[in-house]
Amino acid sequence: MKVSLNTVKQFTKVDLPIDELVAKINGQLGGVEEITNLGERYEGAVIAKVLTCKKHPNADKLSVCEIDAGEAKPVQVVCGAPNVRAGIYVVWLRPGSTVPASFGDAEPFVLGSRELRGVMSNGMLASPKELGLGDSHEGILELDPDEQTQVNSVIKPGAQFATTYYLDDTIITIENKMFTHRPDCFGVLGVAREIAGIQHQAFRSPDWYRNLPSFESGDGLELTVKNEAPKVVPRFMAAVIKDVVVKPSPVWLQAELVRLGGKPINNVVDVTNYVMLLTGQPLHAYDYDQLRGKKLGARIAKEGETVDLLNGKSYTLTTDDIVIVDGDGPVGLGGVMGGAASEVSVLTKNVVLECANFDMYAIRKMSMRHGLFTDAVTRFNKGQSPLQNDYVLALAMQLIGDVAGGELASQVFDAHGAKSIQAPRSVTVNTSFINDRLGLGLSTKEVRTLLENVEFVVDVSKQTNLTVSAPFWRTDIELPEDVVEEIGRLYGYDRLPRELPKRTMSPMSRSARIRLKDKIRRSLSVSGANEVLTYSFVHERVLKGAGQNPADAFRIANALSPDLQYYRLSLLPSLLDKVHANVKNGFDEFALFEIGKGHHKQNMDKYNLPVETELVEMIYSAKRPQPGAAYYKAQRVLQKLLDDLSIDASLVPIEKRFDYAGITPFELSRSAFIKTTDGIVLGVVGELRTSVRKHFKLPDYSAAVTLDIEALETVSATTISSYQPLSRYPSVSQDLSLKVSAAVWFSDLRATLDKALQETSDIKVSYLPLSIYAGDDAHRTFTFRLSATSNTSTLTDAEMSGILESVTRAATKAHGAVKV
Amino acid sequence: MTKLADIATVRDTLLARLEKLDTKSDILKAPELKQLYGAIRDVEPSQRAAFGQAVNELGNEIREKVASYSEQEVSLAPIDVTAPFDVNSELPGLLPSENGSMHPLRQEIDKLSNIFERIGFRIEESREIDDQEHMFETLNFPKGHPARDDYDTFMTIETDRDGDQFIAPAHTSTMQNRMLKKYRAGLKNDEAIAVVVPDRVFRNEDLDARHEHTFYQFEGIYVSKGVHAGMLVATLQQFLQEYYQKELEVRVNPFYFPFTEPSFEFALSCPFCDKKGCRVCSHEGWIELLGCGMIHPNVLKAAGIDPAVYTGFAWGGGVDRLVMMKYGIEDVRHFHSAKLDFLRQF
Repeated sequence: MKVSLNTVKQFTKVDLPIDELVAKINGQLGGVEEITNLGERYEGAVIAKVLTCKKHPNADKLSVCEIDAGEAKPVQVVCGAPNVRAGIYVVWLRPGSTVPASFGDAEPFVLGSRELRGVMSNGMLASPKELGLGDSHEGILELDPDEQTQVNSVIKPGAQFATTYYLDDTIITIENKMFTHRPDCFGVLGVAREIAGIQHQAFRSPDWYRNLPSFESGDGLELTVKNEAPKVVPRFMAAVIKDVVVKPSPVWLQAELVRLGGKPINNVVDVTNYVMLLTGQPLHAYDYDQLRGKKLGARIAKEGETVDLLNGKSYTLTTDDIVIVDGDGPVGLGGVMGGAASEVSVLTKNVVLECANFDMYAIRKMSMRHGLFTDAVTRFNKGQSPLQNDYVLALAMQLIGDVAGGELASQVFDAHGAKSIQAPRSVTVNTSFINDRLGLGLSTKEVRTLLENVEFVVDVSKQTNLTVSAPFWRTDIELPEDVVEEIGRLYGYDRLPRELPKRTMSPMSRSARIRLKDKIRRSLSVSGANEVLTYSFVHERVLKGAGQNPADAFRIANALSPDLQYYRLSLLPSLLDKVHANVKNGFDEFALFEIGKGHHKQNMDKYNLPVETELVEMIYSAKRPQPGAAYYKAQRVLQKLLDDLSIDASLVPIEKRFDYAGITPFELSRSAFIKTTDGIVLGVVGELRTSVRKHFKLPDYSAAVTLDIEALETVSATTISSYQPLSRYPSVSQDLSLKVSAAVWFSDLRATLDKALQETSDIKVSYLPLSIYAGDDAHRTFTFRLSATSNTSTLTDAEMSGILESVTRAATKAHGAVKV
Repeated sequence: MTKLADIATVRDTLLARLEKLDTKSDILKAPELKQLYGAIRDVEPSQRAAFGQAVNELGNEIREKVASYSEQEVSLAPIDVTAPFDVNSELPGLLPSENGSMHPLRQEIDKLSNIFERIGFRIEESREIDDQEHMFETLNFPKGHPARDDYDTFMTIETDRDGDQFIAPAHTSTMQNRMLKKYRAGLKNDEAIAVVVPDRVFRNEDLDARHEHTFYQFEGIYVSKGVHAGMLVATLQQFLQEYYQKELEVRVNPFYFPFTEPSFEFALSCPFCDKKGCRVCSHEGWIELLGCGMIHPNVLKAAGIDPAVYTGFAWGGGVDRLVMMKYGIEDVRHFHSAKLDFLRQF
């Protein structure tokens, strides 16, 4: 929202220096995005009178002029404009000044004194375009010395152009977002009221916005007005004005528009835009003679109907659109943009002025659907008050009379919508309610004054009960809390007492799930792995590359990028997708892990929301193979993680295809389920299928882990410490090598050893695998180091031998093991 | 005359050729196979059935062979997955511990969580996919509300039971209703609802050095009796002073959110230059850090809490921004890049 400080000053007093004012606006109204000094671009723009004008001796199209620019002697300027002639008032840009329209450009156009085809020219005479007033560049700007300016300054040679037309201005741009619920602040009048309020000054709206106008009726031109969409068009006002003269606006109006961020077009259109920028209420002017059937109205569009708009494009409509129609069909998209055919041009003699109100939700949808974001949309989609149309229409009619002539040629139509238009509800609130929520101790009188400053009507009863009636332009005051906001803001949030809440104490423990994830993160990073975060969304090829089915995944309907087509089913594919770039970047061996969520379309909870499956997954890769399969590298990191989490789980070969989510990328012959003794599957560790490695360009030496966090949580909660008291006696160690058939799994042998060692009563025996030797394909020899400790005595060699023998016996019996 | 013996010859030829083919499925287009199929109708009626069956069997065999090639995808030799290391090998070591790292965003979330726990807030987590009821409706954004435009939300094709598309939450406030309900019972015993939700959120934006579609927020919620707007400012100031380990000035600017009234934008004096002006604060001396406000009575009502008795405040701030400012990270896209040269610096 561009706010002209000079326009604000037309409505209220501003005593503060600009930086203090901006700080106050920031603190009490809304974020200031930009402050523009408009005046500096007009430095060197001076009003002048052309005294003489002769043909250039050496150029047909140029004239040599003597001008009175208020200086001691006339100044000579060469000018190429067709409309330059003696006697007119113009704007002269003096040598050394910058052409205002190029101000702030990378290469601003700075004027000088130089010869043009042998004749000295000092500075230049400016066109409207060069002065930043619209697009007109056919001739120089002519000033009317009799024109009334707002500052009532006299238009005379030597006067500063900027001062005369109020262009010595500061434009304060306030974030639109702040005003989402404040349609009134999309007009400078509304912002001026707030600026008065935050300065604790009483604001009084101008008479035209205070006194409800009573419209006369004119005659001469027939028009039928119909509101056929009463549900979404709460109000539709229109009037015909005949015999207007369409031409460029007087300079004061052009300057006013430019200061408010508009662009001069012609006097009639300029009035509608100016009034909108002032009040927040959009208006539209139609060429009466282009309206077919002498009709104008609003209705719901028919499916497939088309309309040609002012931007030169054609739009196909649906029954969700509101159209403005004449006797034959659409002439505009209601509240969004006017039509091309009925546009007001220099040929227009009679105009219809429309001042309507549209449903904010309907406008928002239309704007989104057609991709049209106009000044009217910005205002209507905040929900303008339908109570202001009379005031605004009356002002616009009066201004058109002033700048384009003409007279009312019809009645002033007022087609109401379905609901009668209600004044804002009043809200009853107690002073203490307000003070409690702000931590303040304001008196009822102070509260009342703050509200009355911005034209609320306040009735006080029982000393502290306030009945607050919002003015007609406010649509946001419905609850006592809305009044609290108003008071806090107008009083000043920086003055609120800063005190910490007083409360009872209780320990804040972190949930088991969060603690578990913290532990996982710590364990894996200590193991040398790197935690990554990757997107929750993936491209179809990432899913497919890991053997997953995109049909199982939730699909994003509106992603800007194809990389974000699907919610991921698990994390591993995203991790695989990140390996190649790191290898290429010179990292030879690394492990990436992520803790995150997978979603599966078939997996819904009792609230019919997708179940969020929390996972921790890891990929290990090395560019150069190392001794032993990559599987064992990943398994080693996994084993440490399980130890750190005090989880007792074993690795179980995957003998056949098994329905387990996340298993698709794994090579089954080199993967294992991570399973608890209770048979709960925690996840999978394994190498990846060739096709998966190929797809993601992974090094051959790669292995991955996937673990379900919920399963880990269930198990880790029940596991208790496995501490063993220390013995006073030394432990004895001895190695044992057992040769078994290659068909015997390590886990089978270990189970046998565990069982045999349980029977050794008060002697505690632990063992560590030292080596696995495969001399031929049929056999493997496992060497274990057994360490035995007794709590009652120092172990003898005989006792140790006995243990070894019983272990060997058990292994021979179960697996045909031979001690070697 | 074509005979059964011919089929055996063709079989040998095709199998030999299959071994050599790069694209195994090309064998199915072999002219010999086509000829055999074509020959069926020329065989004497008495032998036609047997011949046809034999040709079909050959066709099936070849097809299965091709299929098994694609399934095999060069299967690796099985290993003893129950063993701690490979044969003729030894127990592999872990990766060097000094190479390990935790993600800077997660580290920061841990730090924030610790501070908030110390001042009495519980830490909870958010969702990555939610319904519109939690993202909008219970937060006082009715359907069609213009403020919904401010959140460029990702939506799924799939819909919830109300027929509304699921969404990727654009703010952690999507958890507000659940948190208020979860802890409201304590209000009767004068236990305040005090929760912080740090988690992942999404906005459907184009990526550049300053814009990410995936980022992290921390949501704060505090509800009790007698809570006023000054307490919100004081609580956040307390947190930030602890976080930056120094005295800071803070200020609030009015703002608009549908789920708070009044709403604020919260700024702190730049902790990196003490308001002198530096690159981090764009030489403003102030950093706009988060949005906050007093929880809207409709939001409390939607969670079954009486706004006449209880009041509260809420805020939502960005974690990524804190981390970027802290380390001077130049590009927000690094966070989700999984680049080791980035990650190993933390």
